[in-house]
Amino acid sequence: MSQVRARFSYARVFLYLILSVVSFLCVFPFIWMVLGMTLNPNEVVKGTLIPGDQFLVNWGKATGPYNLLLFGFNSLFIAVVTVVLGVTVNAMAAYGFDKFHSRAREWLFGVFLLTLIMPQIAVILPLFRLISAFGILDTYWAIILPFTMSAFVIFFLRQNFQMFPKEIVEAARVDGAGELRIFTQIALPSMKAGIASAAILMFITQWNSYLWPLITILSDKTKTLPLAMFSMVNAYTVEYGGLMVIITVSLLPVLIVFLAMQKHFVAGLVGSIK
Amino acid sequence: MRVQGAFQRYLNRSGWFFVAPAVILFVVFMAYPILSSLYLVTRRWKGLTDSFIGLGNFARMLNDGLFWHALGNNFVLMVIQVPIMIALALIFAVMLHHGIRRFRGLFRLILFLPAITSLVAYSILFRILLQTNGLANNLLMQMGLLQQPVAWLNDPLLANITIIVALTWRWTGYNMIFFLVGLQNIDPEIYEAAEVDGASKIGQFFRITLPLLVPVILFSLVTSTSGTLQLFDEPNVLTNPNQSQLSGPTMTAALYIYRQAFQVSSDFGYATTMSYVIVLLAGILAFIQIRFLGGRNK
Repeated sequence: MSQVRARFSYARVFLYLILSVVSFLCVFPFIWMVLGMTLNPNEVVKGTLIPGDQFLVNWGKATGPYNLLLFGFNSLFIAVVTVVLGVTVNAMAAYGFDKFHSRAREWLFGVFLLTLIMPQIAVILPLFRLISAFGILDTYWAIILPFTMSAFVIFFLRQNFQMFPKEIVEAARVDGAGELRIFTQIALPSMKAGIASAAILMFITQWNSYLWPLITILSDKTKTLPLAMFSMVNAYTVEYGGLMVIITVSLLPVLIVFLAMQKHFVAGLVGSIK
Repeated sequence: MRVQGAFQRYLNRSGWFFVAPAVILFVVFMAYPILSSLYLVTRRWKGLTDSFIGLGNFARMLNDGLFWHALGNNFVLMVIQVPIMIALALIFAVMLHHGIRRFRGLFRLILFLPAITSLVAYSILFRILLQTNGLANNLLMQMGLLQQPVAWLNDPLLANITIIVALTWRWTGYNMIFFLVGLQNIDPEIYEAAEVDGASKIGQFFRITLPLLVPVILFSLVTSTSGTLQLFDEPNVLTNPNQSQLSGPTMTAALYIYRQAFQVSSDFGYATTMSYVIVLLAGILAFIQIRFLGGRNK
């Protein structure tokens, strides 16, 4: 930028000061949370800001009576299966919509897009009755199946497929390649960036999902991390140190993906919902 | 011609093959539930049995003060929180883009960090920080700003402020990213020309930056408004922990509907009827989005 010159000015010092204060406010809850893992419940609430020696005790509580590993596994299983199934189904659909034009499918695509404006609360009421009629309440599938197909991910991937030249598909077809082979071996490999963003989006949406699991999960055996922390903080005696362990563990995968793949991460998040 | 027709049919079949799994899932888990809700709104549940009541649910809704109060809360939060957040996001984006050079990437990363938290996780963190005997009160009392602890989560006014602060913490950096992308798309030469003409920095902001960012700002405005309209996680975790309660200072429409359907009465017909109001409002917002944003892209 031309107007940024490396000269000293009070205005710039002031800007850095403001940004530092804002940065501190952004980071502080994370620091307090990590410190909280090493403190006893009383110190967590009071807001002790020096590390304590209770980490192993808190870890023991989180993994023992509070089932961190089981709930973590449930969350991970649900998110990973959704990503694998979802990326397959949605990438296929995006490719089908983009590379094989027909009026009927274009209309269908429009209907898909229309459902993007549907508020979640309006969908989950009838959906709950359906899932309960299927007899799959309180199973992983109750959370995976309804969120495997995503109109937004199809839309997002279709935008990506538009950059993949139709001529390549036609050339491969002339060479005698089957449609499925063209898709899996030529189109998909050239779309790694888009697929990565879509996978991150689907992973985070499921990993953080709260309202739908709150309704469909009834027992500990299928409980996910957001539900686990919610019931922990609502308990009569709150085990704050253990709770901090569970929250930190739940943030770690997202943080790691964020730091490792910032660009894809932001592209993915831009599509997630409030 | 016949060969051509056979090839077209082959392409059409292939197209359906690729979209089929998504279409099946869509029909079962989206289209059918939405259509079946048309049936639900005409039913009334008493315990496990339900009966036809026609438009009775709509009549009940019109007289349900608690519901309109909750929806009113959505609007209060919307009108206050969304502008504050968008203004802050805009200020930070301009600061990062025009104001500084060193550590720009680092600040951008840190300011975005709140957006990676799950809504439940950050709501819980805020709840513990703001408890009556929590860190926020302790700190404010030590600094002499408070004489005695205040009820950030329970007092009607303070609870609303809490939700506003929490939402702003969570979403400002997220919206800032959109504005930063918008700023990057503005040709630097426009500023250089303005500089030559002697325009002040403030003048440049209002004359160049702001008008050119209008589409991005509108986009943020519509998505944030729609998000606030559906607000659920924060009030449920942070300020309304009592699951059987139907009223409260920060009760929202989505939370009220959820509690009617799953905590208090399990009357799905009535809950679905109320959800139609949110659908209607979301539809209006989407219309505004297409009308104003879609038009601009042409």
